[in-house]
Amino acid sequence: MKKKVISILLSTAMIASALGGCGSSPETPAADTAVPAETPAAPAETTAAPADDTASSSDSSSLAYTGELEIMHYSTSEESQGNGGSDGFRTVLADWDAAHPDITLTQNILANAEYKTQIATLAAADDLPDVFLLQGMNTIEWAKQGLVYDLTDTIKASPYYSDYNTAYFTPFTTEDKIYGFPCLTGGTCTVVLYDKQMWKDAGYDAFPTTWADVEAASEYFNGQGITTVAFGNGGKWQANSCFMSTLGNRYTGPEWFSGLIAKSGASFEDAEFVASLAETQRLFTETKIFNPDYNAVTNEDAREYYIAGTAAAFIGGNWDESYIAATLQESDPDKWANIGFAVLPQPADATKAPNSQNIGLGYAVAINSKVADDPDKLAAAIDLAEYITGPAFSSFVAEKYALGGLTKVSDVDLSGFDQITQDFYNWSYIDTETCEIYDSYINSAVWDVFNTDLQDLMNGDKTPEEVAANAQAAYEANY
Amino acid sequence: MLKTIKPKGWVVALYLLVPVALFVFTVFMPLITAFVYSFFEWKGGPNKTFIGLDNYLTLIQDKTFWESFWHNIYLVAACIIGQVGIAFVLVLMINSKLVKFKGIHRTFGFFPSTIAAVCIGLIWNMIYHYQYGIINWFLKLIGKPELCKVWLNEPNLVMLLVSIPLIWQYIGYYMVIIMSAIASIDTEIFESAEIDGANGFQRAIYIVLPLIKNTMIVCLTLCIAGNMKAFDNIYVMTAGGPGTSSMVMAMYGYQISFNQSNMGYGSCISVGIFVLSLLVIGGSQRMLNQFTKEKD
Repeated sequence: MKKKVISILLSTAMIASALGGCGSSPETPAADTAVPAETPAAPAETTAAPADDTASSSDSSSLAYTGELEIMHYSTSEESQGNGGSDGFRTVLADWDAAHPDITLTQNILANAEYKTQIATLAAADDLPDVFLLQGMNTIEWAKQGLVYDLTDTIKASPYYSDYNTAYFTPFTTEDKIYGFPCLTGGTCTVVLYDKQMWKDAGYDAFPTTWADVEAASEYFNGQGITTVAFGNGGKWQANSCFMSTLGNRYTGPEWFSGLIAKSGASFEDAEFVASLAETQRLFTETKIFNPDYNAVTNEDAREYYIAGTAAAFIGGNWDESYIAATLQESDPDKWANIGFAVLPQPADATKAPNSQNIGLGYAVAINSKVADDPDKLAAAIDLAEYITGPAFSSFVAEKYALGGLTKVSDVDLSGFDQITQDFYNWSYIDTETCEIYDSYINSAVWDVFNTDLQDLMNGDKTPEEVAANAQAAYEANY
Repeated sequence: MLKTIKPKGWVVALYLLVPVALFVFTVFMPLITAFVYSFFEWKGGPNKTFIGLDNYLTLIQDKTFWESFWHNIYLVAACIIGQVGIAFVLVLMINSKLVKFKGIHRTFGFFPSTIAAVCIGLIWNMIYHYQYGIINWFLKLIGKPELCKVWLNEPNLVMLLVSIPLIWQYIGYYMVIIMSAIASIDTEIFESAEIDGANGFQRAIYIVLPLIKNTMIVCLTLCIAGNMKAFDNIYVMTAGGPGTSSMVMAMYGYQISFNQSNMGYGSCISVGIFVLSLLVIGGSQRMLNQFTKEKD
């Protein structure tokens, strides 16, 4: 009897522990629903950076506030190696810190996946840090809850306002109010990287502009035992961020997605969008273009296929491009010199924007609305947000990495950069049309349902109509 | 003498105070708060709206949740057979006179239990890997490349495939428990059984099993409780995919709470997991007791 009681007690305690784990642990890694940024698994690091007034190079305006200012972000030191946005962010943050010796800037730095879980937990507890990075798709909900400070007037009064690329504010704007300074670098989420030499050998001078041609090329590559295009959707968000967002636009045009954001009648069940889902399903299930394990590997794995030469092309985001270029430049300069960039090919039955790619800034520097209780602290937080997204950042990333930020940098001198960096800059900002990144908008509940279903769709286990209906139901219930 | 050594009641209470307070704070408080939050619509942030039993009504009709529940039951069944069953057989083998280097077997058997679940998931990800995995490599080696699969992308197989690392990881853990129980059986019993002509199988079923019955019940309870809260291995290997083919309850609760920022419904799922786990464990204990009573 005693043993029975003990075993029952034991099991109750174990389940209770499990429940405790599910209910409120912020330490488990998060599943990515949308990541327009590199996400290495780096440990959390908290640094209370000491003030250093000798290295001052940034804004020296005197702020009345003295004391602690907390910022939470995901530009870890690991990520900043090879990632221009992170490197720039860390650099300007350090500059601001050095220029304000009376303010103790406390940085809480997490890897991207952990950051998203942590910030969601802190938002739920109404305990956000003073300054943090707001993801586009959280803007509406968090603004509604009064968690983020309305920066509309501040932004319009900013000395840098005339230089801002105002389109980048859209994901962080709701009901005509702006809640953040878009930050980091504006990079594409959908780029086709291809090996020019391999495609030349297959009889193509450039990457095909239609899926029909890619399909034809796949016969040649499959004969050689090479994957035509490598893609990884193991994290579930990749098919949305790095494929559907652009492919959908080829069928629907930008008005449809604007209508979806504005709730003005557009629906996931609209025929054009369903057609884009059907084409996605066809490409993945009926053709032999992609690596068979596209649903089991992540983008990090799939890009290794390209690097290893077992795939002739790869579809991913700017964070993959910077990794591939940096790796090949060191390990295989010939293959590096053969990197070409292309937009997603056009489906036969799509009629819109054949030269489009989705680009934008997925995060913005936002301020906790509670900071407004102390006007001096608010002024310091605004100064920080303005500085780390301003010309200092844009100039740094433009000059060092040929990347663009929120502030326009005129006459970027590309001559000092290698050919691949120049090519990618031109491809990203000059030679292509842009479209929106789906999961920078609407909300995470909708995209989580959609992303899960997309995996089934790409396996042929759900029909395009079912996926569209589920997404629409989640949209109606949560947005 | 004993009375003088025995500490006073208040000393014992003082020693217990810190761990008990920690336990209450980290286990029972979240449990109670999750229960309270489960009656609210709470999409993160300070605003919560009381919605009564709406979350529970949603939960009852939530197909993904029930699919996840059955996946947990599948895991429990697979792990009872795999973890406890194989551990029992291995212990008998190690205890046999024919086996040499018993210490090495014990150490290596227990070794996987010391590895973090996330690492186990990554190791098995490599084993199942389509291009570089050892399984597909072996299939190609024996001239059967047509059998190669993207293992973790097979909706019908994926639950079995994510169970295997879990089984492999915990066999050693149950081996140690069962081994210590068997060690406490008087060796004379085995000797007399041997003299009576009982073979190994008969000794296992008619002597060992009844004598370590209570330990086996604890093992089964631990196994069931452990698998009702399975999360980490599967999260690393498939994140519940493809689609929801390997989704388990804890992961679904996590997904709703953190990926979808729906803390109210996520709390409701946590309460659901707690209740269902209690029912499964209570039910299985009842069955086991009934079964062993009949035997007695």
